Formats: sequence, structure tokens, C-alpha cells
Amino acid sequence: MNPSGQSQSEWDAGMMGCGELILELRQRLNQLPPAALFTLIASDPGVPEDLPAWCRMTGHRLVRAAPPEFVIERKPQ
Amino acid sequence: MAGKFCVTQSYAKNDSDKATVGFVIANAALGSEKETMVFLMAEGVRLAQQGYADDIHEEGFAPLKELMANFAAAGGKIFVCSPCFKRRKLDETKLVAGATIVGGARLVEFLSEGASSVSF
Repeated sequence: MNPSGQSQSEWDAGMMGCGELILELRQRLNQLPPAALFTLIASDPGVPEDLPAWCRMTGHRLVRAAPPEFVIERKPQ
Repeated sequence: MAGKFCVTQSYAKNDSDKATVGFVIANAALGSEKETMVFLMAEGVRLAQQGYADDIHEEGFAPLKELMANFAAAGGKIFVCSPCFKRRKLDETKLVAGATIVGGARLVEFLSEGASSVSF
């Protein structure tokens, strides 16, 4: 658990989006072991387009996209 | 289509000349068989709202509404900057044809794939 009481494997980003969300998401995923699953809750209207693009660029895998909930598998390394 | 082309558009009625020329260039790129995307940012996001561009018609050019409709009908993509759109409290349920709200990662991906770009 982090100080906000959320598990390391999930994050409710609220209406955060664009670069602010992506940078924070990268930092959170980097703290997880390879292949770990991470649940993101994000309501920004740009996220359904942004997250798949970000996963394609970075090598993480988007396992499920059901806005506002997204499940990401951390890349192997 | 061979190659990608991005037109970044940050103007709307605050400079309707530039707003129009951006879509003229975008249509030229699409007609040149480039996979073309118009990225609307800052004031430019207003162009993504249905009805906004209806009264923009610069002398010497086709009406902007027609330029945008032709662009979308030919397969052009319009990406709309999400934070720019939100801060202006626009309506995401009333987007023009071809428009999609995106964040920065989608733009970065498009440009990183070797797209040429021009900005207004």
C-alpha cells in the first residue's frame, strides 16, 4: 500500500490526462516487477486513445480497456 | 499511403485565415496520398465542435466547414488535445466528423513514426 491507501497495483487517476498522466503512470509501472498487472482508473476523454498508443511505444501490454478502467501488464524488463 | 503528415493547428476564430490554411494544407497532404492527421490544440480545439466553423469563410478559400468535411470524408484524422478541450469546457459529444479526443501520447506516437509536420 502507498500512503494514499491504494495498492501498488492500482491507481485512480481521476480526471488526470495527457502528459501528466503518462509520466506518473510510467513511474508507477517502473516500481512493479516484470509482467505484473496494473489497474488504472482514468476518466479523461483522451485516455482511451492515449493509453494504447503509449503501450505500443513502450512495450507494456494493454490487457483490457473498459473506460474508465484499464488493465496493463508491465513489460518484461 | 506512403508516409505520414501532421498539421498542428492552434488557431480558430482568433485567426480564421490560419485556421483555414491549415486544412487547405492538410487536404493537399491527403491528396498527395500521405496518411494525414490534423492536431488541434489551444484555441484550435474549438474547430472540433459541430457548428463552430460554419461561418468561417476566408476570401480565396473554400468555406472551412467544407474543407474539414472533405478532409474527414477522404479519411483524414483530426486529433483533439484533451486538456485544451477540457479547459474550454467544450462538449465531447458534439465533435465534427473525423475528430477524436487524444492526449499527448497519441501525438507522440504518430510523429515518432516518421511523420513530417507543419504548425499553424
